[in-house]
Amino acid sequence: MAYGDNNRHFEHLRLPMTWTVMGVVGVICVGALLMFLGDRRHQDEATAYGDRAGFDAAAGPVNNVLSFPVHKIGDGANWIDDYFFAVRENRLLKKKVAELSQYRDDYIELKDLNARYESLLKLRTDPPVEMVTARSVSVSRGPFANNRLINAGSKDGIRFNNPVMTDQGLVGRVVGVSGQVSRVLMVTDVTSHVPVMILRSDGRAMMSGDGGGYPKLEFVRGQDTVKQGDQILSSGDGGIFPRGLPVGEAVKGVDGVWRVKLYANRAPIDFVKVLLYKDFSQLPNADTLLRAPPVSDVLPPPAAPDSKTSASSSSVAAKPVSASTPAPVKTVAVSSSSASKTPLVKPSPVKPVAASSSGSHSASSSHVAASHAVSSSTPSQPVAPVLKPYVPPAASSGGEGAN
Amino acid sequence: MRLPAALGLKKATAGRRVVSPRGPVNSGLRGGVASRVITPWDWIFAPALMSFALSIVLATPFKLFGLYLPEPVSPLILAFAWPLIRPSFIAPFVLGALGLFLDAFWGAPMGFWMLDLMLVYGVLLMARSYIIGQDTVVVFGIFLLAELLFFLFGVLAMSLYAGAVPRLWGVFEQMIATTLLFPFALILLDRYVQTDVKFM
Repeated sequence: MAYGDNNRHFEHLRLPMTWTVMGVVGVICVGALLMFLGDRRHQDEATAYGDRAGFDAAAGPVNNVLSFPVHKIGDGANWIDDYFFAVRENRLLKKKVAELSQYRDDYIELKDLNARYESLLKLRTDPPVEMVTARSVSVSRGPFANNRLINAGSKDGIRFNNPVMTDQGLVGRVVGVSGQVSRVLMVTDVTSHVPVMILRSDGRAMMSGDGGGYPKLEFVRGQDTVKQGDQILSSGDGGIFPRGLPVGEAVKGVDGVWRVKLYANRAPIDFVKVLLYKDFSQLPNADTLLRAPPVSDVLPPPAAPDSKTSASSSSVAAKPVSASTPAPVKTVAVSSSSASKTPLVKPSPVKPVAASSSGSHSASSSHVAASHAVSSSTPSQPVAPVLKPYVPPAASSGGEGAN
Repeated sequence: MRLPAALGLKKATAGRRVVSPRGPVNSGLRGGVASRVITPWDWIFAPALMSFALSIVLATPFKLFGLYLPEPVSPLILAFAWPLIRPSFIAPFVLGALGLFLDAFWGAPMGFWMLDLMLVYGVLLMARSYIIGQDTVVVFGIFLLAELLFFLFGVLAMSLYAGAVPRLWGVFEQMIATTLLFPFALILLDRYVQTDVKFM
C-alpha cells in the first residue's frame, strides 16, 4: 500500500479541543459583530432590508404550513367562544347598532355639507388612496423586534414605506418587499418613530416604540397639549404616513410618560390594509423641482452703458451679471435687487456705480442712475467719498418708484 | 432509513433481537460496557430543527382568550446544553446559523441574536468543567445566570443600536417564556452527559 492511501495524515495530531472550539466561536463572534455593526435596519432606506427579501419570500409559505395546526386550534377556540357568548354578544351588538345609527345619519349629512364647502372653496383635497388587503402570516412581538410578515408583496403593488393599518388603526409601515410577502415594521418596534398629532390641541409629537404595546409620545411641546384620552392621529409630517390616520388615544404611563393606547390592539391583527400611498415628495418631478435656473436667467439684464461713458465703463456694463463678474458689476447687481427694502445710506465708495443705483427701479431707471453716477466721475482721477445720505433720484423727481 | 433517536422515533423491535444499527463500533465490546453511539444528528441537528420549528410555530399571529403565544428564545436552550455536553466543531456553526435565522425571521439587526447566542456558548464552554456533575438545582441557577447574561447583552446591544432602551418588562416576559423551556435542556443533558454514551 502506498504511503498516505488511507488518508490519515493527521491522526497523531492532537489539538486542545476546548481551545480550538473557542477559536471557532471567536471567529463566528467576529463575523456576527461585523454583521451587527453593518446593519442599517434603523435607517429609512429601502435597501436596508433588501438582502432579506429572499428569506421573507421563503419564510412566508413555510410559516403558513407549520402554523396550520395552530390556526386550526384557534378557529376551534373561537368557535367555542362564539357558541357560549353569542347571546351576550348579540345584546351588545344591538345596543351598539342603535347607538351608531344616529351617528350614521349625522355622518351622511355632514359629509354632504363638507363636499359642498370644498366645492365652493375650490379646495384641493387629497386624492383617494388605493389599498391592498393582506393577511398577517407571522409576527415577532419580543422586546427587541416587532415585525410582521404579510402575504402580499410587490406583485400587488406594495412598495417600501407604504403605511399598514387594520380597520381599527395604524399598525406600521412596510420595510421589506418581495414578490408575494412583505415585512411590516410595527409602530411598537424599538426603532419605529411616527410623527403624530393630538386632535384636540393640534399639537405635534413623535410616537416612538419601545417593544411594548404602548409606544411613547416624545417631543410634546406646550402646556396641556396632551390630556388623558386625547385622540392621536398621524400628522403627515415627513411624508411617509398620510395625515389623519387613526393611531390611538393618549394615556399616562406609570412612569409618568405619555403613551399611546393603540387602536390596532383592540382586536387581533389578522387582516391588514396596505395603503398604496405615495410620499408627497414623489408626486412632483424631483428633477424639475430641484433644477434651479442660473442667476442670469432670473435677474434683469444689466444696464446698457451710455455712449459718453462707454469708454470708461465698458468693463462695467457690457459684461453679463454672473458669479464671475468683477466686483463693481457684482455690486450693481446686488444693489439693484435688494436695495428696495434697505436703501443705501452709506457714502459711495471709490466706484460710485454701486451706491447710486436703486433696486426698486426697473432696469431702465437703474440704467439712468448708473449712467448718471458714472458720468459724474472722471475715470482718470480718484474720487473722494461723499458723506451724504442717499436720496433716490426717483424720489427727488416726484416720488416714483418709492415702494 | 435511520430514524433520529433524539426525536424518540425508533423502529418497532418487538419480538426481534435488537441489533445496533450503527455498525461495528460496539461489536467488540461486552454487553455490560457497551455504550450507545451518538451521532451529530442526535444531539445537534435534531434539536436544532426542533428549535427552528418551534420558533416558526410560535410566531403564528394567534390570540387565544386575549393572549398572544409566548415568544421564547428556544436556541438559548441549545446554547446552554451543547457546550456542557461536549466541545464540538459543528455545534457553534449550527448555533450561529440558528442565530442568523432568528435575526432574519424576527426582523432583528443581522448578527444580533447570533452574537448573543455565541456569547453564552463561549462563556459556558469555558466554565464547562465547573458545571458538569453539579446538582440540578445548581445547573438551573447557572442557567438563570446565563439567561441573565444573554438578555442583558441583548438590551445593551439594542440600546446602542437603536438609541432607545427596549421595554424591560417585555424583556422579563421573554425571559420567563425562555425559562419554561429549561426542562428540554435537562433532557438533553440527561440523555447525553449523565448516561454512558459514545460520540461519533
